[in-house]
Amino acid sequence: MRPLAEQDHYEVLEVPREASFEDVERAYRVAQAAYAEDSVALYSVFGGEDAQALRDRIELAWSVLSDVERRRAYDAMLSQGGTPPAAAPVALRERFRDGGFEEEARPIAITMEPAKPPPPPARYEKPPLRPLAAPVLEPVDAHEDVSSGELDGAALRRARQRRGLELEQIANVTKISPMYLRYLEDERFEDLPAAVYVRGFVVSYLRCCGIDPATALPSFMARYEAVRAAGRSGRTAGRLPGRV
Amino acid sequence: MREEIPLSPVPASDAALDPVLRSRPRLVAVGGGKGGVGKTFVVANLAAALARAGHPVVVVDADLDGANLHTALGVASPRATLADYVAQREDDVGKLVSDTAIPNLRLIAGTQGNLGEAQPDPARRERLLEGLARLPARFVLVDLGAGHQPALVDYFLAADDGIVVLTPEPTSVENAYGFLRAAFYRRMHDVLLQPAVRKVIAEAMDQRNERGIRTPFDLQREVQAIDPGAGAAFVAAVARFRPSLIVNEVRTAEEIKLGFAVRSVCRKYFGVDAEYLGYVNHDDAARRSVLARRPLVELTPGSDASIYLERIARKLADPGRLHGQATDVSA
Repeated sequence: MRPLAEQDHYEVLEVPREASFEDVERAYRVAQAAYAEDSVALYSVFGGEDAQALRDRIELAWSVLSDVERRRAYDAMLSQGGTPPAAAPVALRERFRDGGFEEEARPIAITMEPAKPPPPPARYEKPPLRPLAAPVLEPVDAHEDVSSGELDGAALRRARQRRGLELEQIANVTKISPMYLRYLEDERFEDLPAAVYVRGFVVSYLRCCGIDPATALPSFMARYEAVRAAGRSGRTAGRLPGRV
Repeated sequence: MREEIPLSPVPASDAALDPVLRSRPRLVAVGGGKGGVGKTFVVANLAAALARAGHPVVVVDADLDGANLHTALGVASPRATLADYVAQREDDVGKLVSDTAIPNLRLIAGTQGNLGEAQPDPARRERLLEGLARLPARFVLVDLGAGHQPALVDYFLAADDGIVVLTPEPTSVENAYGFLRAAFYRRMHDVLLQPAVRKVIAEAMDQRNERGIRTPFDLQREVQAIDPGAGAAFVAAVARFRPSLIVNEVRTAEEIKLGFAVRSVCRKYFGVDAEYLGYVNHDDAARRSVLARRPLVELTPGSDASIYLERIARKLADPGRLHGQATDVSA
């Protein structure tokens, strides 16, 4: 473990050097939240300048590791025994304007990259976060609830929470109304549309949470069918309120 | 009559054959600096979950000022307590143990009713820990209560699993860091014996020290400058210091991320690899269980919070973890 000034970009984002793009992106999101100005986890340990230095290093690490070409060049530099610059955060901050890095900031990065880096763009723009890619999330922890093959609404919700996802984030990716997603979690099957739609909703939801639909879908649909069937027989028998 | 609840499946480990498990109980200490974050609730429920899974468990209430673990477990008036040990009325730690209504779960109650010295002196603390290590149990869980007095920190550092409980509130997070700082510096003080090095460590514990030592990394440099051998010992001690984190009273997915954030800050500030052991969501059923004086995992095993607590208990008993592997929450 090394002080921040001596850490390379991978150490700053706390990912191994072989991390996939998705791992890097996830680590960047975590770091962004951890070191945000209003982060509960931050203020009682790091003062204002230190916190800003951390944020600068995190942004710099993301700008390099999220760009295939720059990451390749950086990896090559690391494999040749290159060292990260101790003074980067402060120097970088001085050139940090309007949320982007002025091109003059590049000399700092040059010490971290090979002698002839690929020509940089005229002005660095913070890369937008990729939309959440549905099927790529790691499934290990998310499977805890469904390893038995049993899946209910509460298990869906727990799987989502473990991924750190709000319903709205799943809605953004799947284009399914948050209302229907909530009905899935609350098992308000009577308020959901026909089975063919619900099946699609659940598959999309599970993929967002990194769960294999093939394992988990049947038990959830069985619950849905059972409740719907009970509702139908109830109506047929005229037992529902107002139908007596 | 209580509802008959099937035991969670006993882990299909070869625990009985495992020399690590057979030799002595696993000591788990739960602290966190701030009062009211749910340490006692977490201890009672992790212990009950482990006991329900078939592990013999003893819980110890080392809470200085607010001993009430016995109440959380529905034990009305413990026959013997830690006070008897502190007052030297009883030297045999094994005789302090009371039964609870939960099979496999026994209790060494706290020092309630004793207004004198609440903690044993260092030498007796050492013997208490030795006594706990001889108990016929697979897990001994110690509720440290609030604060970061040296006695509490000593239990934390002696434990196989030192767990810090925090809630998603600034006051709780601040005190959790305070507890971790206290534990970190005490560990260094215990490991590094040279007077000159100890003097620097003592100075560093004051954040406004004149040497300008602001972070553990600064301290490491100072120690290294005094004696490279001590510097290497410092680095080795940091590597062995691996506290675990539990975030309690989580209400949103956003709040789950607090554990990742604190873990990251521990790395960046202390250079310490903390482990995010798990989280427990806010659940009205938890309050009902406190009122009923029964652990939630026993009273309402299907509740959300119970499921999270049982998951953490499973991690504590995970054979891989017992051999040193981390069981972090996935980001």
